[in-house]
Amino acid sequence: MSQFAQATVYGLLQGGILALVAVRFSLVWGVLNVVNLAHGAFVVAGAYVAYELHETIGLDPFLGMVPAALVLFVLGYALQRYLVNLVVNAPIFITLLLTFGLALIAVDGMVLLFTANYRGIPVGYAAGSLTLPGDVRLPVGRLIAALLAVGITLGLGYVMRRTRTGLAILATGMDRGAARLMGIRAAHVYALTFGIAAALAGAAGAAVSAVGTFSPADAGRFTLFSFVAAVLGGLGTMSGALYGGLLLGLVESWGGQLLPGTLVNAVAFAVLVLVLAVRPQGLAGKAFYAARVEA
Amino acid sequence: MKTRILAGITAATLVAAVAGCGHSKGTPTDTAQSGGALTLGASLSLTGSLAREGTLTREGYEVCRSVVNGRGGVPVGGKKLTLDITYQDDTSKPDTAAQLVDQFNDNGVKLILGPYGSATTAAAAAVVERNKQVMADSSGADDAIFTKGYRHTFAVLSPATSYAASMVQALFDLADPKPKTIAFISADDGFSKTVTTGGVARAQQLGFTVVDTEFVPNGTSDVSGALTKIKSKNPDVIIGSVHLAEGVAIVKQAKELGVNPPGGFGETVAPPTPDFATSLGTAANGVLGSTQWTALTSGSDKWFGTARDYAATFAKQYNGRQPEYHGAEATAACLALVLAVEKAGSTDPDKVRDALAGLDEQTFFGPLKFNPTGQNTTKTMGVIQIQAGKPVPVWPRDASQSPLIWPGNRS
Repeated sequence: MSQFAQATVYGLLQGGILALVAVRFSLVWGVLNVVNLAHGAFVVAGAYVAYELHETIGLDPFLGMVPAALVLFVLGYALQRYLVNLVVNAPIFITLLLTFGLALIAVDGMVLLFTANYRGIPVGYAAGSLTLPGDVRLPVGRLIAALLAVGITLGLGYVMRRTRTGLAILATGMDRGAARLMGIRAAHVYALTFGIAAALAGAAGAAVSAVGTFSPADAGRFTLFSFVAAVLGGLGTMSGALYGGLLLGLVESWGGQLLPGTLVNAVAFAVLVLVLAVRPQGLAGKAFYAARVEA
Repeated sequence: MKTRILAGITAATLVAAVAGCGHSKGTPTDTAQSGGALTLGASLSLTGSLAREGTLTREGYEVCRSVVNGRGGVPVGGKKLTLDITYQDDTSKPDTAAQLVDQFNDNGVKLILGPYGSATTAAAAAVVERNKQVMADSSGADDAIFTKGYRHTFAVLSPATSYAASMVQALFDLADPKPKTIAFISADDGFSKTVTTGGVARAQQLGFTVVDTEFVPNGTSDVSGALTKIKSKNPDVIIGSVHLAEGVAIVKQAKELGVNPPGGFGETVAPPTPDFATSLGTAANGVLGSTQWTALTSGSDKWFGTARDYAATFAKQYNGRQPEYHGAEATAACLALVLAVEKAGSTDPDKVRDALAGLDEQTFFGPLKFNPTGQNTTKTMGVIQIQAGKPVPVWPRDASQSPLIWPGNRS
């Protein structure tokens, strides 16, 4: 029983980290209709920022999330404003190609800059764990990361629904043409969205650097899991990716207990197929996003 | 639909990359025919998931090239040939490695230095056999490569079955009090599974009880499922047949999950790489690892001297950095071809093959001698332990630097 409880707790925490990585992927997809294949590269870049800050000035990786987010925001804003915006109205195939190219450049660039070595930041307290009844362990580092995921998602949801900027972003996502007619500067809003997404990806990367290992080659894995979590949760709501990530973490953890360990990925994707078959808009997705107006 | 598009993009990019590489390199045969150069071809993981190990392998090949050329080249029938190595990037993908080796053949390059890893080596070996090229395998240790009756692939390194088995043997020889139970965690690629099979067999043969064997996806950074299952079985030692990512995850997550085997961990190839100790900090101390080579390996040869001499040569070429076994095994593969060409007195692939098959030399890497399937079974693996953040050779005794710290888990 405690084995099952342990798997559940760990799965939820693992899911929290997946959600932390996936929320902004969902944001860019939902608002910009851009499937950002360079998303994983942003996450890894954030991890490197945190790593370098830890190496040079000994900054704690969880505090490193802030500078990592700032660096990635600037990068993301510039990329969208001066590059992705050029093709954002083109068929999705073109943006897919562009971000795929960006991902290749970013990953190989990081191999050149930082080498392909595996990195990880050993943080004493993050590796420790709290003991719950039944000898179930609650790892501190993962707990912090999961709580941050929930916090950031709620915060982002608030910004989206309650501030002018957030509403402008949502409006642009729903109907680009109408938003322009209302005086919203679409190019700026797009760049802002992409920048926010990149910033949060960077923050997620910093969190990942504290609890696991990373190397440039991991970018693809982060993109893949974001993709699955975003689709699972449903596009268009910030909470969707959170649910998606948590579900993915749980399913992998339970699958790992009941089945041979090598099948966990197969189980995760089987759940994706099942959810899409029963509820094509995802767990928390809203159907109107599918019927949005493209201008 | 999206994945299909993706697959299409990936395929197109690959084809373009491969085609581009092939044309840009010209025809290496030109130099070979002029009588001045001995050209070897190497398809390596210079990008992709194995980029790190691929780069380390290239460093080993480069040390071989500079040492051999520094002494005027390879003596062949009264002449000295300059050693020339042509590299291509297989992006860590077996299919691409096979295509590149085929391309070398089209360009007249018959002598091949192995790619990095068992999967790419297996793919390359099939092509080498068909084209009657000759390959010196520097890192493909999976025994499965050598069960297909190939006659043109020769591995300088100890086979996969001895990786975990050497750690089990070291525990049997050195650990006091002796552990009784062992659990294995294995990545699910061919190489790691063969390693596990060899380790489990040796453990049972030596009287240990194997309480569990769990498999995890290759390259995963989450092994919590396997650890949760193992926890209730309370093994004295956990042995992982893993790569770096899984190896780091086992130690990190075991601590998170309160899995504390009293004897600690053994993790095949992860601990000898410096990244292991840097990403784990003090948690790395006491972990055992297995290695093809250390600077204390016995044996010497005329090109590189002893293992210590080799380490000095390597450090001189790479700003004082000490070699890992990846570099040493790569240099050894190159050395095997150099020795074979010298012995054959010719660069003709058939003659070089026969010379390799009959090779029996002591080198800085240990003995180079191949059995009929092309494996180097005379050589033993070494076992290291992380002590104060550094990998230290502890077994076999005659090549050890300091005694085993036991029990390994002091936390």
